[in-house]
Amino acid sequence: MTAAALKSDTKEIVVERVFAHAPEKVWKALTTAELMGRWLRMPNKGFAPVKGNRFTYQTTPAGAWDGVIHCEVLDVRPNERLVYSWKGGDASNVGYGAPLNTVVTFTLAKVEGGTRLSLVHSGFVLPTNETAFKGMGDGWQKVVPSIGEIAGEQH
Amino acid sequence: MIQAASIDTVMRTLADPTRRAVFERIVRSDEITVVELTRGSGVTQSAVSQHLRSLKQAGLIVDRAQGRNVFYSAEPKGLAPLFDWMSHYAVFWRDRFAGLETLLKEIDP
Repeated sequence: MTAAALKSDTKEIVVERVFAHAPEKVWKALTTAELMGRWLRMPNKGFAPVKGNRFTYQTTPAGAWDGVIHCEVLDVRPNERLVYSWKGGDASNVGYGAPLNTVVTFTLAKVEGGTRLSLVHSGFVLPTNETAFKGMGDGWQKVVPSIGEIAGEQH
Repeated sequence: MIQAASIDTVMRTLADPTRRAVFERIVRSDEITVVELTRGSGVTQSAVSQHLRSLKQAGLIVDRAQGRNVFYSAEPKGLAPLFDWMSHYAVFWRDRFAGLETLLKEIDP
């Protein structure tokens, strides 16, 4: 694994789940400002399910970054698809709070017994070797053994 | 920036395999003394002490003196510089999907 090979690499997070509710209900939870705030557990300002709409989320600040996520609705197909940009961070931060220029795509599909909701959060630019840190999502203890490989590669 | 410096420090500190082994043992224990760490490590107690100093300087462990013993434990925040946005959101979305499930049950029982 070389630094050059990873430099322009972007990664995405994919989460899928079938909810025992009709697409219309899931859509409502995804696109009603008040409901969004409840399940995302952070308030938004100015959301409307209209292409070109700009809104913000307020999350935890870090260093020079005020914790505001700037979003713009890129695509809306009622009960099927919602796409918005998700930008924030500050160049002076490393890790949480670092610059972030990503896109969030929700896709809904009617399936037997409910709705399959798929979330793709794309555009993560990973610093060299950062890929190996993904396991940290599962708890920091698990990642300790892999740090060696990564740290070793830097020498 | 403090954070930028510490990611380097953390990496450098954990690059040494012996030191990393010491750190991993501390992570797996609640609290552990230098004597226990030395036992079965294949290195001398003074070498282990040296590694403990480096780990402490990098903010990866904390110590607590009790009587004549010093107990070492892992400091989870020490690894924070290694957390990136992606691991943050991997946890975030899984967690929020669970929240969405709860909300849907409320609005559409």
